[in-house]
Amino acid sequence: MKDNKLRLKRLIYYADDLQKIDKLMEEFLKLSNAKCIFLIDKEGHMISNKGLVQQINAETLSALVAGSFAATKEMARLLGEAEFSVMFHQGSRDHIHIAIIGDRAISATIFDEKTTVGMINLYSKELSVKLEKIFDIAIRRVHQEQQVEADYSESVKDKLNDLFKE
Amino acid sequence: MQINYARREISCKLVFYGPGMSGKTTNLEVIHQKVPDENKGEMTSIATEGDRTLFFDFLPLDLGKVRGMTTKFQLYTVPGQIYYASTRKLVLQGADGVIFVADSGAGKIDENNESLLDLSNNLAEYGIDITEVPLVIQWNKRDLPNALPVEELEKKVNTVGAKTIEAVAATGEGVMGTLKLAASLVLDRLNTPEEGGAAAAAPAAAPAAPAKEEAPAPKKEVYVAKVGSDAISRTFFLQYCQLQYRLASKEAEVEDFKKFSKEEYRKYLDSLINYSLLLQDAKKRAIKPPMEKINAQIDGFKKKFASEKELKEYLDKRRLSLESLKNEATKNEIINILILEVLPNIKEMMKISDKEVSDFYNANKAKFNNKTLDELKPSLTNLIKGAKKRQALDEFYGKLRGQAEISIFEDKL
Repeated sequence: MKDNKLRLKRLIYYADDLQKIDKLMEEFLKLSNAKCIFLIDKEGHMISNKGLVQQINAETLSALVAGSFAATKEMARLLGEAEFSVMFHQGSRDHIHIAIIGDRAISATIFDEKTTVGMINLYSKELSVKLEKIFDIAIRRVHQEQQVEADYSESVKDKLNDLFKE
Repeated sequence: MQINYARREISCKLVFYGPGMSGKTTNLEVIHQKVPDENKGEMTSIATEGDRTLFFDFLPLDLGKVRGMTTKFQLYTVPGQIYYASTRKLVLQGADGVIFVADSGAGKIDENNESLLDLSNNLAEYGIDITEVPLVIQWNKRDLPNALPVEELEKKVNTVGAKTIEAVAATGEGVMGTLKLAASLVLDRLNTPEEGGAAAAAPAAAPAAPAKEEAPAPKKEVYVAKVGSDAISRTFFLQYCQLQYRLASKEAEVEDFKKFSKEEYRKYLDSLINYSLLLQDAKKRAIKPPMEKINAQIDGFKKKFASEKELKEYLDKRRLSLESLKNEATKNEIINILILEVLPNIKEMMKISDKEVSDFYNANKAKFNNKTLDELKPSLTNLIKGAKKRQALDEFYGKLRGQAEISIFEDKL
Protein backbone atom coordinates (compact mmCIF):
# COMPACT_ATOMS: atom_id res chain seq x y z
CA MET A 1 0.00 0.00 0.00
CA LYS A 2 3.05 2.19 -0.18
CA ASP A 3 1.79 3.74 -3.35
CA ASN A 4 -1.48 4.91 -2.01
CA LYS A 5 -0.59 8.44 -1.28
CA LEU A 6 0.80 8.85 -4.69
CA ARG A 7 -2.04 7.06 -6.38
CA LEU A 8 -4.45 9.31 -4.63
CA LYS A 9 -2.74 12.32 -6.02
CA ARG A 10 -4.09 11.43 -9.41
CA LEU A 11 -6.61 13.88 -10.62
CA ILE A 12 -9.12 12.18 -12.79
CA TYR A 13 -11.60 13.96 -15.00
CA TYR A 14 -14.37 12.06 -16.69
CA ALA A 15 -16.05 12.93 -19.93
CA ASP A 16 -19.51 13.47 -18.45
CA ASP A 17 -18.21 15.95 -15.88
CA LEU A 18 -16.15 17.80 -18.44
CA GLN A 19 -19.15 18.17 -20.73
CA LYS A 20 -20.94 20.02 -17.97
CA ILE A 21 -17.84 22.06 -17.22
CA ASP A 22 -17.34 23.01 -20.86
CA LYS A 23 -20.93 24.12 -21.13
CA LEU A 24 -20.60 26.37 -18.10
CA MET A 25 -17.41 27.86 -19.48
CA GLU A 26 -19.09 28.61 -22.80
CA GLU A 27 -21.94 30.35 -21.00
CA PHE A 28 -19.40 32.31 -19.02
CA LEU A 29 -17.66 33.50 -22.19
CA LYS A 30 -20.96 34.65 -23.66
CA LEU A 31 -21.97 36.54 -20.55
CA SER A 32 -18.62 38.10 -19.76
CA ASN A 33 -17.49 38.76 -23.35
CA ALA A 34 -14.03 37.43 -22.56
CA LYS A 35 -11.79 35.99 -25.29
CA CYS A 36 -11.08 32.63 -23.75
CA ILE A 37 -10.87 30.71 -20.54
CA PHE A 38 -8.56 27.98 -19.30
CA LEU A 39 -9.35 25.63 -16.48
CA ILE A 40 -6.16 24.42 -14.82
CA ASP A 41 -5.51 22.17 -11.87
CA LYS A 42 -3.29 23.47 -9.12
CA GLU A 43 -0.47 21.22 -10.19
CA GLY A 44 -0.24 22.99 -13.52
CA HIS A 45 -1.99 20.53 -15.83
CA MET A 46 -4.68 21.99 -18.04
CA ILE A 47 -8.14 20.50 -17.53
CA SER A 48 -10.02 22.19 -20.34
CA ASN A 49 -10.33 25.41 -22.31
CA LYS A 50 -12.89 27.33 -24.33
CA GLY A 51 -12.91 30.32 -26.63
CA LEU A 52 -10.23 31.77 -28.88
CA VAL A 53 -7.28 29.80 -27.59
CA GLN A 54 -5.42 29.04 -30.82
CA GLN A 55 -2.73 31.68 -30.37
CA ILE A 56 -1.89 30.63 -26.87
CA ASN A 57 0.52 27.94 -25.72
CA ALA A 58 -1.89 26.27 -23.35
CA GLU A 59 0.57 24.02 -21.58
CA THR A 60 3.07 26.69 -20.70
CA LEU A 61 0.30 29.07 -19.73
CA SER A 62 -1.14 26.41 -17.40
CA ALA A 63 2.20 25.76 -15.74
CA LEU A 64 2.87 29.47 -15.28
CA VAL A 65 -0.61 30.28 -13.99
CA ALA A 66 -0.42 27.48 -11.43
CA GLY A 67 3.08 28.59 -10.52
CA SER A 68 2.27 32.26 -10.08
CA PHE A 69 -0.87 31.43 -8.20
CA ALA A 70 1.13 29.22 -5.85
CA ALA A 71 3.67 32.00 -5.41
CA THR A 72 1.03 34.47 -4.24
CA LYS A 73 0.15 32.00 -1.52
CA GLU A 74 3.36 32.96 0.23
CA MET A 75 2.34 36.61 -0.01
CA ALA A 76 -1.06 35.73 1.38
CA ARG A 77 0.57 33.86 4.22
CA LEU A 78 2.58 36.95 5.19
CA LEU A 79 -0.70 38.85 5.52
CA GLY A 80 -2.24 36.07 7.52
CA GLU A 81 -4.49 34.99 4.65
CA ALA A 82 -4.79 31.37 3.56
CA GLU A 83 -4.63 32.35 -0.09
CA PHE A 84 -5.72 35.04 -2.50
CA SER A 85 -8.74 33.94 -4.45
CA VAL A 86 -8.35 36.32 -7.39
CA MET A 87 -5.35 37.64 -9.32
CA PHE A 88 -5.35 40.11 -12.16
CA HIS A 89 -2.61 41.05 -14.61
CA GLN A 90 -3.17 44.01 -16.87
CA GLY A 91 -1.51 44.27 -20.26
CA SER A 92 -1.74 46.94 -22.95
CA ARG A 93 -4.07 44.87 -25.11
CA ASP A 94 -4.89 41.64 -23.33
CA HIS A 95 -5.37 41.02 -19.67
CA ILE A 96 -5.60 37.90 -17.58
CA HIS A 97 -7.87 37.25 -14.65
CA ILE A 98 -7.05 34.27 -12.43
CA ALA A 99 -9.46 32.85 -9.87
CA ILE A 100 -9.40 29.78 -7.68
CA ILE A 101 -12.12 27.18 -7.86
CA GLY A 102 -12.56 25.10 -4.75
CA ASP A 103 -9.33 23.65 -3.54
CA ARG A 104 -8.09 21.99 -6.66
CA ALA A 105 -8.52 24.14 -9.71
CA ILE A 106 -7.83 27.59 -11.10
CA SER A 107 -9.51 29.46 -13.93
CA ALA A 108 -7.56 31.83 -16.14
CA THR A 109 -9.62 34.18 -18.27
CA ILE A 110 -8.07 36.24 -21.03
CA PHE A 111 -9.94 39.33 -22.15
CA ASP A 112 -9.48 42.64 -23.94
CA GLU A 113 -11.21 46.02 -24.23
CA LYS A 114 -14.52 44.43 -25.23
CA THR A 115 -15.26 43.95 -21.56
CA THR A 116 -14.10 45.06 -18.13
CA VAL A 117 -12.39 43.45 -15.21
CA GLY A 118 -15.52 44.04 -13.15
CA MET A 119 -17.64 41.99 -15.53
CA ILE A 120 -15.08 39.20 -15.56
CA ASN A 121 -14.91 39.25 -11.80
CA LEU A 122 -18.66 39.11 -11.44
CA TYR A 123 -19.25 36.20 -13.81
CA SER A 124 -16.16 34.33 -12.77
CA LYS A 125 -17.42 34.28 -9.20
CA GLU A 126 -20.64 32.66 -10.38
CA LEU A 127 -18.69 30.22 -12.49
CA SER A 128 -16.45 29.28 -9.57
CA VAL A 129 -19.42 28.38 -7.43
CA LYS A 130 -20.94 26.20 -10.16
CA LEU A 131 -17.70 24.46 -11.04
CA GLU A 132 -16.88 23.82 -7.42
CA LYS A 133 -20.18 22.03 -7.09
CA ILE A 134 -19.38 19.78 -10.04
CA PHE A 135 -15.96 18.93 -8.63
CA ASP A 136 -17.49 18.31 -5.27
CA ILE A 137 -19.91 15.74 -6.62
CA ALA A 138 -17.33 14.18 -8.93
CA ILE A 139 -14.93 13.62 -6.09
CA ARG A 140 -17.44 11.59 -4.15
CA ARG A 141 -18.59 9.48 -7.00
CA VAL A 142 -16.87 6.17 -7.55
CA HIS A 143 -16.19 5.71 -11.22
CA GLN A 144 -15.44 2.26 -12.47
CA GLU A 145 -16.26 2.14 -16.09
CA GLN A 146 -13.17 3.76 -17.46
CA GLN A 147 -9.67 2.66 -16.88
CA VAL A 148 -6.35 3.04 -18.57
CA GLU A 149 -5.52 -0.07 -20.57
CA ALA A 150 -3.46 -2.63 -18.72
CA ASP A 151 -0.41 -2.48 -20.91
CA TYR A 152 -0.43 1.28 -21.13
CA SER A 153 2.66 1.77 -18.95
CA GLU A 154 4.71 -0.73 -20.91
CA SER A 155 3.65 0.86 -24.18
CA VAL A 156 4.73 4.28 -22.95
CA LYS A 157 8.11 2.88 -21.94
CA ASP A 158 8.56 1.44 -25.41
CA LYS A 159 7.67 4.73 -26.95
CA LEU A 160 10.10 6.57 -24.67
CA ASN A 161 12.85 4.22 -25.83
CA ASP A 162 11.97 4.81 -29.46
CA LEU A 163 11.73 8.56 -29.27
CA PHE A 164 14.27 9.56 -26.70
CA LYS A 165 17.72 8.37 -27.62
CA GLU A 166 21.00 9.40 -26.03
CA MET B 1 -0.81 13.30 -12.43
CA GLN B 2 -3.89 14.16 -14.35
CA ILE B 3 -5.93 11.54 -16.16
CA ASN B 4 -8.37 13.34 -18.40
CA TYR B 5 -10.81 10.97 -20.05
CA ALA B 6 -12.59 13.76 -21.84
CA ARG B 7 -9.43 14.91 -23.60
CA ARG B 8 -8.06 11.34 -23.55
CA GLU B 9 -4.90 12.60 -22.02
CA ILE B 10 -2.51 11.57 -19.24
CA SER B 11 -0.16 14.18 -17.92
CA CYS B 12 2.66 13.50 -15.45
CA LYS B 13 4.90 15.94 -13.63
CA LEU B 14 8.61 15.30 -13.16
CA VAL B 15 10.70 17.66 -11.06
CA PHE B 16 14.47 18.08 -11.27
CA TYR B 17 15.76 18.80 -7.79
CA GLY B 18 19.25 19.25 -6.37
CA PRO B 19 21.78 21.74 -4.99
CA GLY B 20 22.64 24.97 -6.80
CA MET B 21 24.77 24.61 -9.94
CA SER B 22 24.46 20.82 -9.99
CA GLY B 23 23.15 20.87 -13.56
CA LYS B 24 19.36 20.72 -13.36
CA THR B 25 18.70 23.32 -16.02
CA THR B 26 21.46 21.80 -18.16
CA ASN B 27 19.61 18.48 -17.99
CA LEU B 28 16.47 20.17 -19.26
CA GLU B 29 18.36 21.94 -22.03
CA VAL B 30 19.86 18.67 -23.20
CA ILE B 31 16.44 17.04 -23.26
CA HIS B 32 15.09 19.99 -25.19
CA GLN B 33 17.88 19.56 -27.76
CA LYS B 34 17.56 15.82 -28.13
CA VAL B 35 13.81 15.34 -28.26
CA PRO B 36 12.34 15.52 -31.78
CA ASP B 37 10.48 18.77 -32.46
CA GLU B 38 7.06 17.19 -32.70
CA ASN B 39 7.42 15.77 -29.22
CA LYS B 40 8.35 18.91 -27.34
CA GLY B 41 6.93 22.28 -26.53
CA GLU B 42 8.71 25.50 -25.81
CA MET B 43 11.17 25.57 -22.94
CA THR B 44 10.36 28.35 -20.52
CA SER B 45 12.85 29.66 -18.01
CA ILE B 46 12.21 32.20 -15.35
CA ALA B 47 15.80 33.12 -14.67
CA THR B 48 17.81 35.99 -13.18
CA GLU B 49 20.23 37.96 -15.28
CA GLY B 50 23.01 35.68 -14.19
CA ASP B 51 21.12 32.80 -15.76
CA ARG B 52 20.33 31.22 -12.44
CA THR B 53 16.85 29.74 -12.22
CA LEU B 54 14.61 32.10 -10.30
CA PHE B 55 11.29 30.34 -10.21
CA PHE B 56 11.40 27.29 -12.44
CA ASP B 57 12.24 26.01 -15.87
CA PHE B 58 9.47 24.25 -17.68
CA LEU B 59 9.57 21.88 -20.62
CA PRO B 60 6.48 20.00 -21.80
CA LEU B 61 7.03 16.71 -23.66
CA ASP B 62 4.35 15.04 -25.72
CA LEU B 63 4.73 11.38 -26.63
CA GLY B 64 1.66 11.42 -28.82
CA LYS B 65 -1.06 8.80 -28.48
CA VAL B 66 -0.23 5.65 -26.58
CA ARG B 67 -3.00 3.07 -26.27
CA GLY B 68 -5.49 5.76 -27.14
CA MET B 69 -4.28 8.25 -24.55
CA THR B 70 -2.19 11.30 -25.43
CA THR B 71 0.72 11.04 -23.04
CA LYS B 72 2.54 14.05 -21.70
CA PHE B 73 5.41 14.60 -19.35
CA GLN B 74 5.90 18.01 -17.89
CA LEU B 75 9.42 18.66 -16.72
CA TYR B 76 10.17 21.28 -14.11
CA THR B 77 13.38 22.33 -12.42
CA VAL B 78 13.59 24.10 -9.10
CA PRO B 79 16.06 26.81 -8.17
CA GLY B 80 18.92 25.20 -6.27
CA GLN B 81 20.04 28.09 -4.13
CA ILE B 82 19.22 27.66 -0.48
CA TYR B 83 17.24 30.91 -0.20
CA TYR B 84 14.60 29.79 -2.69
CA ALA B 85 13.23 27.22 -0.28
CA SER B 86 9.58 28.25 -0.59
CA THR B 87 9.73 28.30 -4.39
CA ARG B 88 11.10 24.75 -4.39
CA LYS B 89 8.22 23.60 -2.29
CA LEU B 90 5.69 25.17 -4.65
CA VAL B 91 7.14 23.53 -7.72
CA LEU B 92 7.22 20.18 -5.98
CA GLN B 93 3.47 20.21 -5.48
CA GLY B 94 1.86 17.36 -7.35
CA ALA B 95 5.16 15.91 -8.59
CA ASP B 96 4.76 12.34 -9.79
CA GLY B 97 8.48 11.72 -9.78
CA VAL B 98 11.68 13.47 -8.75
CA ILE B 99 15.10 13.47 -10.40
CA PHE B 100 17.72 14.56 -7.92
CA VAL B 101 20.72 15.94 -9.76
CA ALA B 102 23.71 15.51 -7.44
CA ASP B 103 27.13 17.06 -7.96
CA SER B 104 29.80 14.35 -7.97
CA GLY B 105 32.57 16.83 -7.14
CA ALA B 106 34.68 16.26 -4.04
CA GLY B 107 33.60 18.70 -1.38
CA LYS B 108 29.99 18.73 -2.59
CA ILE B 109 28.79 15.95 -0.29
CA ASP B 110 27.38 18.38 2.27
CA GLU B 111 25.56 20.44 -0.33
CA ASN B 112 24.06 17.31 -1.86
CA ASN B 113 22.93 16.04 1.51
CA GLU B 114 21.52 19.37 2.52
CA SER B 115 19.46 19.53 -0.65
CA LEU B 116 18.30 15.93 -0.28
CA LEU B 117 17.18 16.71 3.25
CA ASP B 118 15.39 19.79 1.95
CA LEU B 119 13.62 17.58 -0.62
CA SER B 120 12.66 15.13 2.08
CA ASN B 121 11.26 17.92 4.28
CA ASN B 122 9.33 19.51 1.45
CA LEU B 123 7.81 16.20 0.41
CA ALA B 124 6.91 15.53 4.03
CA GLU B 125 4.96 18.79 4.04
CA TYR B 126 2.81 17.29 1.29
CA GLY B 127 2.50 14.12 3.35
CA ILE B 128 4.87 12.07 1.19
CA ASP B 129 7.77 10.03 2.50
CA ILE B 130 10.89 10.46 0.37
CA THR B 131 11.31 6.68 0.15
CA GLU B 132 7.83 6.39 -1.36
CA VAL B 133 8.14 8.84 -4.21
CA PRO B 134 9.57 7.62 -7.55
CA LEU B 135 13.07 9.08 -7.13
CA VAL B 136 16.18 8.84 -9.28
CA ILE B 137 19.50 10.28 -8.15
CA GLN B 138 21.71 11.34 -11.01
CA TRP B 139 25.44 11.41 -10.19
CA ASN B 140 26.20 14.32 -12.46
CA LYS B 141 29.57 15.76 -13.52
CA ARG B 142 31.25 12.37 -13.68
CA ASP B 143 33.87 13.99 -15.91
CA LEU B 144 35.21 16.23 -13.15
CA PRO B 145 38.81 15.40 -12.32
CA ASN B 146 37.92 15.43 -8.62
CA ALA B 147 34.68 13.44 -8.98
CA LEU B 148 34.15 11.10 -6.04
CA PRO B 149 33.82 7.39 -6.76
CA VAL B 150 30.20 6.31 -7.19
CA GLU B 151 30.51 3.84 -4.30
CA GLU B 152 31.40 6.69 -1.98
CA LEU B 153 28.50 8.81 -3.22
CA GLU B 154 26.11 5.89 -2.82
CA LYS B 155 27.24 5.47 0.75
CA LYS B 156 27.35 9.10 1.77
CA VAL B 157 24.49 10.63 -0.21
CA ASN B 158 22.04 7.95 -1.28
CA THR B 159 20.78 7.23 2.20
CA VAL B 160 17.25 6.86 0.87
CA GLY B 161 17.87 3.81 -1.32
CA ALA B 162 16.95 5.58 -4.55
CA LYS B 163 17.81 4.28 -8.02
CA THR B 164 20.92 6.02 -9.30
CA ILE B 165 22.49 6.73 -12.67
CA GLU B 166 25.72 8.39 -13.81
CA ALA B 167 25.76 11.38 -16.13
CA VAL B 168 27.71 14.24 -17.63
CA ALA B 169 24.88 16.62 -18.37
CA ALA B 170 27.18 19.19 -19.99
CA THR B 171 27.94 16.74 -22.81
CA GLY B 172 24.49 15.15 -22.69
CA GLU B 173 25.72 11.79 -21.49
CA GLY B 174 23.24 9.91 -19.30
CA VAL B 175 20.57 12.62 -19.46
CA MET B 176 18.03 10.74 -21.53
CA GLY B 177 18.75 7.59 -19.53
CA THR B 178 17.90 9.47 -16.34
CA LEU B 179 14.66 10.77 -17.79
CA LYS B 180 13.63 7.33 -19.01
CA LEU B 181 14.47 5.72 -15.68
CA ALA B 182 12.40 8.28 -13.77
CA ALA B 183 9.53 8.03 -16.25
CA SER B 184 9.46 4.26 -15.97
CA LEU B 185 9.29 4.46 -12.16
CA VAL B 186 6.32 6.80 -12.47
CA LEU B 187 4.66 4.54 -15.03
CA ASP B 188 5.10 1.49 -12.84
CA ARG B 189 2.94 3.24 -10.26
CA LEU B 190 0.22 3.63 -12.80
CA ASN B 191 -0.13 -0.11 -13.14
CA THR B 192 -2.01 -0.33 -9.89
CA PRO B 193 -5.62 0.15 -10.91
CA GLU B 194 -7.36 3.22 -9.66
CA GLU B 195 -10.74 2.72 -8.05
CA GLY B 196 -11.70 6.10 -6.76
CA GLY B 197 -13.10 8.99 -8.68
CA ALA B 198 -11.07 12.15 -8.79
CA ALA B 199 -8.63 12.80 -6.05
CA ALA B 200 -10.57 11.30 -3.22
CA ALA B 201 -9.53 8.24 -1.35
CA ALA B 202 -11.66 5.29 -2.31
CA PRO B 203 -11.97 2.76 0.46
CA ALA B 204 -12.51 0.05 -2.08
CA ALA B 205 -9.04 0.56 -3.39
CA ALA B 206 -7.27 -0.78 -0.36
CA PRO B 207 -8.58 -3.69 1.59
CA ALA B 208 -5.33 -4.19 3.40
CA ALA B 209 -4.71 -0.82 5.00
CA PRO B 210 -7.53 1.65 5.02
CA ALA B 211 -6.06 3.86 7.66
CA LYS B 212 -3.07 4.60 5.52
CA GLU B 213 -5.24 6.06 2.84
CA GLU B 214 -4.35 9.64 3.24
CA ALA B 215 -5.58 12.60 1.35
CA PRO B 216 -4.17 14.04 -1.79
CA ALA B 217 -3.15 17.23 -0.12
CA PRO B 218 -2.31 16.31 3.44
CA LYS B 219 -1.50 19.90 4.26
CA LYS B 220 -5.19 20.58 4.06
CA GLU B 221 -6.32 17.16 5.11
CA VAL B 222 -8.18 16.82 8.33
CA TYR B 223 -7.80 13.71 10.41
CA VAL B 224 -10.66 12.29 12.40
CA ALA B 225 -8.64 9.77 14.36
CA LYS B 226 -5.24 8.30 14.90
CA VAL B 227 -4.89 4.57 15.44
CA GLY B 228 -1.36 3.59 16.38
CA SER B 229 0.80 4.75 13.51
CA ASP B 230 -2.11 5.17 11.10
CA ALA B 231 -4.02 8.37 10.74
CA ILE B 232 -7.56 8.21 9.43
CA SER B 233 -8.25 11.10 7.13
CA ARG B 234 -11.64 12.70 6.98
CA THR B 235 -11.97 12.02 3.27
CA PHE B 236 -11.31 8.35 3.78
CA PHE B 237 -13.64 8.17 6.74
CA LEU B 238 -16.51 9.75 4.81
CA GLN B 239 -16.02 7.29 1.98
CA TYR B 240 -15.99 4.44 4.45
CA CYS B 241 -19.32 5.61 5.91
CA GLN B 242 -20.87 5.77 2.45
CA LEU B 243 -19.62 2.31 1.60
CA GLN B 244 -20.87 0.76 4.82
CA TYR B 245 -24.22 2.42 4.33
CA ARG B 246 -24.44 1.09 0.78
CA LEU B 247 -23.43 -2.41 1.82
CA ALA B 248 -25.99 -2.54 4.57
CA SER B 249 -28.76 -0.73 2.75
CA LYS B 250 -31.86 -2.74 1.98
CA GLU B 251 -33.24 -0.05 -0.26
CA ALA B 252 -33.27 -0.77 -3.96
CA GLU B 253 -31.51 2.45 -4.73
CA VAL B 254 -29.16 4.33 -2.48
CA GLU B 255 -28.66 8.04 -2.19
CA ASP B 256 -25.76 9.63 -3.99
CA PHE B 257 -24.32 10.96 -0.80
CA LYS B 258 -26.03 10.13 2.45
CA LYS B 259 -25.77 12.38 5.43
CA PHE B 260 -25.53 10.84 8.88
CA SER B 261 -26.20 12.03 12.37
CA LYS B 262 -23.36 12.65 14.77
CA GLU B 263 -24.14 9.40 16.58
CA GLU B 264 -24.09 7.44 13.35
CA TYR B 265 -20.77 8.97 12.37
CA ARG B 266 -19.41 8.03 15.77
CA LYS B 267 -20.60 4.47 15.29
CA TYR B 268 -18.96 4.24 11.88
CA LEU B 269 -15.76 5.70 13.25
CA ASP B 270 -15.72 3.09 15.97
CA SER B 271 -16.10 0.35 13.43
CA LEU B 272 -13.41 1.85 11.22
CA ILE B 273 -11.03 2.05 14.18
CA ASN B 274 -11.73 -1.61 14.93
CA TYR B 275 -11.09 -2.45 11.33
CA SER B 276 -7.78 -0.56 11.34
CA LEU B 277 -6.70 -2.31 14.54
CA LEU B 278 -7.70 -5.62 13.07
CA LEU B 279 -5.64 -5.08 9.94
CA GLN B 280 -2.65 -3.92 11.96
CA ASP B 281 -2.92 -7.07 14.05
CA ALA B 282 -3.39 -9.28 11.00
CA LYS B 283 -0.29 -7.71 9.51
CA LYS B 284 1.71 -8.45 12.66
CA ARG B 285 0.61 -12.05 12.52
CA ALA B 286 1.38 -12.19 8.80
CA ILE B 287 -2.16 -13.30 8.01
CA LYS B 288 -2.90 -13.34 4.32
CA PRO B 289 -6.48 -13.38 3.05
CA PRO B 290 -7.44 -16.64 1.26
CA MET B 291 -7.94 -15.11 -2.16
CA GLU B 292 -9.22 -18.31 -3.75
CA LYS B 293 -12.00 -18.56 -1.24
CA ILE B 294 -12.86 -14.90 -1.63
CA ASN B 295 -12.89 -15.12 -5.40
CA ALA B 296 -15.18 -18.13 -5.14
CA GLN B 297 -17.53 -16.10 -2.94
CA ILE B 298 -17.59 -13.31 -5.48
CA ASP B 299 -18.18 -15.78 -8.30
CA GLY B 300 -21.05 -17.26 -6.29
CA PHE B 301 -22.51 -13.78 -5.90
CA LYS B 302 -22.23 -13.12 -9.61
CA LYS B 303 -24.07 -16.36 -10.37
CA LYS B 304 -27.13 -15.04 -8.56
CA PHE B 305 -27.72 -12.80 -11.53
CA ALA B 306 -29.03 -14.01 -14.84
CA SER B 307 -26.82 -11.73 -16.87
CA GLU B 308 -23.91 -9.32 -16.60
CA LYS B 309 -26.42 -6.56 -17.25
CA GLU B 310 -28.55 -7.46 -14.26
CA LEU B 311 -25.48 -7.64 -12.07
CA LYS B 312 -24.35 -4.26 -13.28
CA GLU B 313 -27.78 -2.77 -12.68
CA TYR B 314 -27.86 -4.16 -9.17
CA LEU B 315 -24.43 -2.76 -8.37
CA ASP B 316 -25.10 0.59 -10.01
CA LYS B 317 -28.29 1.14 -8.07
CA ARG B 318 -26.44 0.54 -4.84
CA ARG B 319 -23.40 2.44 -6.04
CA LEU B 320 -21.26 -0.56 -5.26
CA SER B 321 -18.60 -2.30 -7.24
CA LEU B 322 -17.42 -5.89 -7.31
CA GLU B 323 -14.16 -4.55 -5.94
CA SER B 324 -15.85 -3.10 -2.86
CA LEU B 325 -17.71 -6.36 -2.28
CA LYS B 326 -14.48 -8.24 -2.61
CA ASN B 327 -12.84 -5.98 -0.07
CA GLU B 328 -15.69 -6.52 2.33
CA ALA B 329 -15.37 -10.29 1.85
CA THR B 330 -11.62 -10.01 2.42
CA LYS B 331 -12.25 -8.17 5.66
CA ASN B 332 -14.64 -10.86 6.83
CA GLU B 333 -12.21 -13.63 5.96
CA ILE B 334 -9.40 -11.90 7.81
CA ILE B 335 -11.71 -11.59 10.81
CA ASN B 336 -12.48 -15.32 10.62
CA ILE B 337 -8.83 -16.31 10.48
CA LEU B 338 -7.88 -13.92 13.25
CA ILE B 339 -10.61 -15.18 15.54
CA LEU B 340 -9.39 -18.73 15.09
CA GLU B 341 -5.91 -17.59 16.06
CA VAL B 342 -6.85 -15.66 19.15
CA LEU B 343 -9.69 -17.92 20.24
CA PRO B 344 -8.72 -21.45 19.20
CA ASN B 345 -11.79 -22.78 20.98
CA ILE B 346 -14.22 -20.61 19.03
CA LYS B 347 -15.60 -23.65 17.21
CA GLU B 348 -16.49 -25.21 20.54
CA MET B 349 -18.08 -21.96 21.64
CA MET B 350 -20.16 -21.89 18.49
CA LYS B 351 -21.70 -25.25 19.24
CA ILE B 352 -24.94 -24.20 20.79
CA SER B 353 -26.48 -26.78 23.10
CA ASP B 354 -30.20 -27.48 23.27
CA LYS B 355 -30.13 -26.24 26.84
CA GLU B 356 -28.79 -22.87 25.80
CA VAL B 357 -31.53 -22.53 23.22
CA SER B 358 -34.28 -23.57 25.61
CA ASP B 359 -32.90 -21.29 28.37
CA PHE B 360 -32.91 -18.41 25.93
CA TYR B 361 -36.41 -19.32 24.76
CA ASN B 362 -37.76 -19.48 28.28
CA ALA B 363 -36.15 -16.22 29.31
CA ASN B 364 -37.65 -14.38 26.35
CA LYS B 365 -40.83 -16.36 25.95
CA ALA B 366 -43.09 -13.35 26.21
CA LYS B 367 -41.63 -11.87 23.04
CA PHE B 368 -42.23 -14.89 20.86
CA ASN B 369 -46.02 -14.63 20.40
CA ASN B 370 -46.75 -18.20 21.46
CA LYS B 371 -44.43 -19.73 18.89
CA THR B 372 -43.04 -23.05 20.07
CA LEU B 373 -39.43 -23.77 20.86
CA ASP B 374 -39.19 -26.27 18.00
CA GLU B 375 -40.42 -23.72 15.51
CA LEU B 376 -37.90 -21.16 16.58
CA LYS B 377 -34.94 -23.39 17.26
CA PRO B 378 -32.93 -22.82 14.03
CA SER B 379 -33.30 -19.05 14.11
CA LEU B 380 -32.62 -18.86 17.85
CA THR B 381 -29.47 -20.95 17.41
CA ASN B 382 -28.22 -18.52 14.79
CA LEU B 383 -29.14 -15.60 16.99
CA ILE B 384 -27.12 -16.96 19.90
CA LYS B 385 -24.23 -17.80 17.60
CA GLY B 386 -24.21 -14.29 16.25
CA ALA B 387 -24.32 -12.78 19.71
CA LYS B 388 -21.46 -14.99 20.87
CA LYS B 389 -19.36 -14.12 17.87
CA ARG B 390 -20.01 -10.44 18.42
CA GLN B 391 -19.11 -10.76 22.07
CA ALA B 392 -15.88 -12.58 21.20
CA LEU B 393 -15.05 -9.91 18.64
CA ASP B 394 -15.85 -7.13 21.07
CA GLU B 395 -13.52 -8.66 23.63
CA PHE B 396 -10.85 -8.99 20.99
CA TYR B 397 -11.31 -5.40 19.84
CA GLY B 398 -11.26 -4.31 23.46
CA LYS B 399 -7.91 -6.00 23.89
CA LEU B 400 -6.51 -4.43 20.72
CA ARG B 401 -7.79 -1.04 21.78
CA GLY B 402 -6.12 -1.46 25.15
CA GLN B 403 -2.79 -2.01 23.46
CA ALA B 404 -3.01 0.70 20.84
CA GLU B 405 -2.80 4.41 21.13
CA ILE B 406 -6.03 5.83 19.76
CA SER B 407 -6.97 9.45 19.51
CA ILE B 408 -10.29 10.63 18.16
CA PHE B 409 -10.72 14.18 17.01
CA GLU B 410 -14.38 14.53 17.86
CA ASP B 411 -14.63 18.09 16.53
CA LYS B 412 -13.53 17.00 13.05
CA LEU B 413 -16.34 14.51 12.63
